[in-house]
Amino acid sequence: MRAIHNMIWAVALLAAGAVQAGRSCEPQHLGAQTLGRGMQLAASTVRALDDSGARVVLLARAGQDLSAYGLRYSHLGWAYRTAEGPWRVAHKLNDCGSDRGYLYRQGLGEFFLDDLWRHEAVWAVPTPEVQQRLLALLQDGRRTTLLQHAPYSMVSYAWGQRYQQSNQWALETLAMAMEPDTVRTRVQAQAWLRFKGYAPTVLRIGPLTRLGARVSAANVAFDDHPNEKRFADRIETVTVDSALAWLQAARLAAAPERLVP
Amino acid sequence: MKRHAIHKSLAAAAMAFCLAWGAPAQAQSEASAALSLLPVASIVASTGAASAAAGAVVVLPAALSVAGAVLTVQAVQVSALSTVYVLERASDGARVSVELSDRAAAAAVHGVGTVVTCSVIATGVILSAAGEVLAFVPNALGRALLHNERL
Repeated sequence: MRAIHNMIWAVALLAAGAVQAGRSCEPQHLGAQTLGRGMQLAASTVRALDDSGARVVLLARAGQDLSAYGLRYSHLGWAYRTAEGPWRVAHKLNDCGSDRGYLYRQGLGEFFLDDLWRHEAVWAVPTPEVQQRLLALLQDGRRTTLLQHAPYSMVSYAWGQRYQQSNQWALETLAMAMEPDTVRTRVQAQAWLRFKGYAPTVLRIGPLTRLGARVSAANVAFDDHPNEKRFADRIETVTVDSALAWLQAARLAAAPERLVP
Repeated sequence: MKRHAIHKSLAAAAMAFCLAWGAPAQAQSEASAALSLLPVASIVASTGAASAAAGAVVVLPAALSVAGAVLTVQAVQVSALSTVYVLERASDGARVSVELSDRAAAAAVHGVGTVVTCSVIATGVILSAAGEVLAFVPNALGRALLHNERL
C-alpha cells in the first residue's frame, strides 16, 4: 500500500514540476537572430499585403511543429490595414501558459516575433464583401471583443462553449461580422459556421497523452469534448489549416498565399 | 495481485506522462502573451556625426550606423521608469545613450564593460550582447510594424 502511495506522490510531483516548466511570463531572453528574422518576415509580409490591395486578411504563422497532426500552421488572426497606413492584427493570446486567453491588437512585428518553428507567413484574402464586414467590426473595439471568452484550452471543442482557443475566436467573430443581426452569441456563431460547412480538424489524441497534457499544462483541457468523441480519441478543434481550406471552399476568401522570405 | 495491478498501472501512467510531456497535445493555437518582450529602445543622446544608413527616415547617431560595430557599455542608469545604457564605440569613442522602459530592460540586464554588437537591419538597429538582444532601435519602417495593445 505504501508503494502505491509513493507512486501517487511521484506522479503529483512530476505534474507540479511540469506545470512550472511551462511557458510563463517571466522575462525571457530574445536572440538577435530571432528578432532579425521575425522583423524581416513582418516587413516582407506587409509589403506583400500592401501590394495585394486587400484591407483585411486572415493571417497565420507556424509557431510550432504540428506535422505529426498533419498541420502546417498553428495560429491565426485578422490583419487589417488601418486608415493611417500600418497593418494591425487582432488575435487572441494565451496568457502565459495559464487557462486564460485575451484579445490583443498588435503590429505584424509582434505577430511574427515569437520563436517561430518555420519562418513563413500565410494569408487568405477574403472577398470584398467579407473584408468590408470584417473591417467595420475590427475598427470597433466593443464588437471585436463581443464573442471573447477568457477560459482557454488550446484544443477546445470546436462546437463547445466552455473554452475558446485563438483560432476559434477568429472564426466565431467572422460569423458575427457576416451576420450582425442574428449572430450575437457563440452558440449562434457556431451554428452559422456549421451552416456554412466549416469542418474542424480531428486530432487523434490517445488517453495517456490526454492525461499527461491535462496534468502538466493549465492551457490544455479535454473535458469540453463530448464523451463519445473524447473516448474515441477524436479531438475536434479549430485549426489554421482547416480554416484556410474552408474559407476557399465556401467562397469566402481566395486561395491561401504563402510567403517565405 | 490487485495491488500489484494498480501499482503497474500507476507506473505506466507515470511513464506515459514523462514520455508525453514535452509534446503533449501541443496541438495548435500556441500563441502566448509572454512574447511581448521586445526591448524597444529610443536614442536619448549621442555624440559624433549622424547618419541615415539604417533607414530612409530615421537619423541614427554615428555610433549605431555601421553594421558590426562594436561598442562597450560605459554606464547604466536605472530609474523607476527606465534604464539608460551609455554605449561607446571602440574604434573612435563615439557615444550614444539608449533608453529602455523598465519592463523592456528587465529581461536584459547588462553591466558596465559588456561588449555590444550593432546589427543594422531594414527595420532598425539591433544591439546585442553574446547573441542576446539588449535593445532594438526601430526606424520608421520598424516602428510601423510594432504595436501592442490589449483589447
